[in-house]
Amino acid sequence: MSQARQLTFSIFRYDPQDPNDKPQMVNYYITETPGMTVFIALNKIRETQDPSLQFDFVCRAGICGSCAMVINGKPTLACRTLTANFPSAEMSLMPLPGFELIGDLSVNTGKFMRELAERLQLWLQPNDTDMDIHRIEAPMAPEEAAKLYELERCVECGVCVSACATKQMRDTFVGAVGLMKIARFELDSRDSRTSDDFYHVIGNQDGVFGCMTLLGCQDACPKDLPHMQQIAYLRRKMSISVTNII
Amino acid sequence: MAVNPLPAKNILSRYTAKGFSHPIWAARADRLQSASGVLLGLFLIMHLHFESSILLGKEAFYQVAQFLEGGIFSETGHGFPILTQIFSVVMLLVVLIHAVFALRRFPTQIGQWRALRQQMKFLPHEDTKIWFWQMISGFLLFFLVPVHLFTMITNPEIGPHLSAERVVYQNAWVLYVLLLPAVTIHAIFGLYRVSVKWGLVTQRFALLKLAKVMLAYLMVLGVASLVAYIIIGRSLSLPVVPFVPGL
Repeated sequence: MSQARQLTFSIFRYDPQDPNDKPQMVNYYITETPGMTVFIALNKIRETQDPSLQFDFVCRAGICGSCAMVINGKPTLACRTLTANFPSAEMSLMPLPGFELIGDLSVNTGKFMRELAERLQLWLQPNDTDMDIHRIEAPMAPEEAAKLYELERCVECGVCVSACATKQMRDTFVGAVGLMKIARFELDSRDSRTSDDFYHVIGNQDGVFGCMTLLGCQDACPKDLPHMQQIAYLRRKMSISVTNII
Repeated sequence: MAVNPLPAKNILSRYTAKGFSHPIWAARADRLQSASGVLLGLFLIMHLHFESSILLGKEAFYQVAQFLEGGIFSETGHGFPILTQIFSVVMLLVVLIHAVFALRRFPTQIGQWRALRQQMKFLPHEDTKIWFWQMISGFLLFFLVPVHLFTMITNPEIGPHLSAERVVYQNAWVLYVLLLPAVTIHAIFGLYRVSVKWGLVTQRFALLKLAKVMLAYLMVLGVASLVAYIIIGRSLSLPVVPFVPGL
């Protein structure tokens, strides 16, 4: 690169706590550096231009899922988006839709994820009733462990929820993240819940049968999780669930 | 599950109402929507191919129509138009089942419509856009398909001249010009969606490409046949005499 580019960031600014504030797009200009991500650029803007700019980050490496935002119309992780990928050198940054806005680019995905986990009971419910912690755990087949690990990679960034038009239309829909996690416990041999139990939670219009296969989740997921296959798997599984023959 | 009673049991008790609100209907509705959709989609592909036999000449279309009307079972070699009527009634029932269950998907509140439009503007995404057009075409088909089927129920005569007469002199071409794009878009993308929805294919983008090729092919086939009927219809003098093979 002979001459460093001048980047234009058009950033959504709004503080819902301030009754006098109005939502607006504010432009910031910075010089691109090699290997710059949107996350680095945001930190630079906050350090050198506007300390009041709100956005979330923790790990800066695509693991914590905090820095999800809408970059030029695509919901994704800021820390995994290179500015070099935008030939026009202009980027618009918006907060993820479908979540409570904390301020500017920061949204409360944590609250959403916690409510979802409580609603769907997204934790392991073990087979055995005796809770002896000294007992040796039953071994798990490596194939099963690999399958579970694949789904465990979800970082709860909320991108799939924002990318889902079904979720935007129907607020009570569980979204891909909820279905993905249900699929994870459904596959887990240690979990005692049966298809029937899962049917009670997601066998309805707000669950797997509310999904219209718009596949925004699949196309936007920054961790490339197999949303399409997992939701289809759950749909088949729930559809042939014993109590439920036509 | 005595140890860990799911709180979802409360959700379940909310659905104690009998009938369609029972959660069992969520799975049934999805299955019936998909099954009826596949049936209609595959039927459409066959239908368009059969009627396009007019492109191979009047004789070819005559033979296809007579065969499908069960001509081999009649002494004269002419088929029974009542088969067309019975088949149309059956298809109307399938369409009704499909419509009833597909209507669940429509945004019924203005807020939902706005949320969808906002989402499409804000986060452009191909499959969402495809679904949107499927919804629009589905809405149109809700009105157009019954017109087509009622025509076939009340007036089942099919033949190179009789069909051409319907297209030109009874102005059915207006219906077909609207019906053809709506039904091909709805059916082809519907078949694509149902395949990925139930996990029948993993090569999604290859399938989507195939769907687009199929769409273009069926449109060309449909438009060519429609033009053929219009040309034949305009060459006929009134009153129209049914086509007789070998003349």
